[in-house]
Amino acid sequence: MRINGRIAFSLLLIAMTAIAIVMALQWSFKAAFFPLVTAVPLLILATAQLMVDLIGRSPAEENTRSDLDFTADISPEIARRRTVAIFAWIAGFILLVFLLGFSLAIPIFVLTYLASQTDAGWWLKIALAAAAWGCFYGLFDRLLHLPFEAGRIQTWMGWG
Amino acid sequence: MLDALAESLFLILQLKTFMLMMLGMGLGFSVGLLPGIGGGATMALMMPFIFHMTPVEAFAFLLGMHSVVATTGDITSVLFGVPGEGACAATVLDGHPMAKRGQAGRALGAALMSSLVGALIGAAVLAVSIPVVRPLVLSFGSPELFMVTMMGIACITSLSGLGARGQLRGFSMGLFGLLLSTIGTERQSGMLRFDMGLMYLWEGLDLVPFMVGIFAVPEIVNLAVRGTAIAGERPNERLRSGVLEGIKDTFRHFWLVVRCSAIGVLVGILPGAGGGVAQWMAYAHAVQSATDATDRERFGKGDVRGVLGPGACNNSKEGGDLIPTVAFGVPGSGATAILLGAFIIMGLTPGPDMLTKHLSVTYSMVWTLVIANIITVALCLMTLNHLARLTYVRGGLIIPFVLLLIFLGSYTANKSIADLLVTAGCGLFGYFMMRFGWPRAPLVLGFVLGKLAETYLFISIARYGFEWLARPMVIVLFLLTLFVIALPYLQDRRKRRRRSTHAD
Repeated sequence: MRINGRIAFSLLLIAMTAIAIVMALQWSFKAAFFPLVTAVPLLILATAQLMVDLIGRSPAEENTRSDLDFTADISPEIARRRTVAIFAWIAGFILLVFLLGFSLAIPIFVLTYLASQTDAGWWLKIALAAAAWGCFYGLFDRLLHLPFEAGRIQTWMGWG
Repeated sequence: MLDALAESLFLILQLKTFMLMMLGMGLGFSVGLLPGIGGGATMALMMPFIFHMTPVEAFAFLLGMHSVVATTGDITSVLFGVPGEGACAATVLDGHPMAKRGQAGRALGAALMSSLVGALIGAAVLAVSIPVVRPLVLSFGSPELFMVTMMGIACITSLSGLGARGQLRGFSMGLFGLLLSTIGTERQSGMLRFDMGLMYLWEGLDLVPFMVGIFAVPEIVNLAVRGTAIAGERPNERLRSGVLEGIKDTFRHFWLVVRCSAIGVLVGILPGAGGGVAQWMAYAHAVQSATDATDRERFGKGDVRGVLGPGACNNSKEGGDLIPTVAFGVPGSGATAILLGAFIIMGLTPGPDMLTKHLSVTYSMVWTLVIANIITVALCLMTLNHLARLTYVRGGLIIPFVLLLIFLGSYTANKSIADLLVTAGCGLFGYFMMRFGWPRAPLVLGFVLGKLAETYLFISIARYGFEWLARPMVIVLFLLTLFVIALPYLQDRRKRRRRSTHAD
């Protein structure tokens, strides 16, 4: 039997619910009551969904409601590559924030993204990166005085 | 009463008061665009500035700020699929697909005009109902509030596909949302649940990183995959006519807007329910207004009724929220709880005095809601053409800015890098949900209602045992919940019967 994404997702849901039930069974009645009341029927429903996935009806036959239709105009290979790329950008941004803090991560991220993903002129790229930093600094730092953690590198260097 | 109404209008239109209201509106406008920083948080940040103001000036400043937050929150929901406020998530479901179809102007016109109508209805109800609403609020204890959350959860039937498999997925996700809401410290026993040894999870998952991840990240992925502008390769919509069409839509579906406004006012009056619940109930009601299964299938794909319902409800809720706050000092939401602090700073005591000695202050709040919303909507309508053009800017130029909006907004929830990781994790989960046809709305609805439901259930059992099940209002609400569950099926059956009668 070939496990496709839909089956894997249902299995993931079942696994998470089963773990939740096992954990909840070790708690006091008060703490376990609500999680069990929700997790037990969820386990039943998710298992039923898995059965449906295994029977293998197409999504069109299922009368489900998905509120975002992913584009079908792009070949699956390109779509997969672009999906991985955007998640890598997201991970990269979080890593930058962790290492350098928002204040430095924002202009570096915007400039790098624009440089690699668009063919806009350098002046526009620099102006947009500066605008992003300006909005961050003006609104979050100066106006709202929100505290932002210093990056790990600044902390290690003793600058944070 | 009419004298007090006229006097309070005069007070609001004084130059200093009016300018303070405009300043508050400007702040509210900026904050509404950012996910994470809610109107309540901004109100708290601005609280130190009201010490030297008169009560009318202070409430004009604070309420002017708060009343426009939901309106501008709809703008990012429509344009980028990023809910600007927790209470604007439902607008994403149909508003953003409209933007992707090149109808951003129409969606924004509809969102803004329905917001204005909702705000005016909320303000009108606030003006006339304070003296008469007392019995309703006092008759709602924790058992009744628990049943209201159950009624909210019952809306899952409308937020999922009508077929058995659609319902299966919808209810699975609703239950999963309820289960996720139990992460963190259990309030009765103090026991930690599903905390995985992480201190970050002791307070539970925060709504903002969760919701922004589930809704906004999959939209960004889709935009990056398409490699086009948000509106695709479509020719520029005739923006002016698009906006006008959206405004007309509000009046074409006027009774839907009125009904959703009523939902907002009612949920606003009930302490603790909040906009997170009201918007989904209004959206579910909009879906229920579909004439048949085919009509119903249009929701989630860019149906303007899915924008009108939550838009109206979000703003009418503000008027409803203020009713118990002003009349009894019982805040209807987090933001009005902070507003209650302003009452204390101003030396005012919510309650009967607000209906006698300080009636002009009370009515100045009504006028602030009315005037602030009219000005905001007018200003937005004037600038809407430029805002809607953003959907025609190349995706490559938009994506980094939307990512900043998403992650900066999420970070403000707990000021922790873990907020960013939760957003990215929820985004990945949301992406796979979309990939495999699972609905997102029931998940968020279950998550929003989970904590409330558990708290009210425990208080009900601790206070009344199981006798609360026999309380008259609980029975009425239980029957209403059954009706909400059955309504889509009843509508479908009636339609089919009518069709077969016509065929005969």
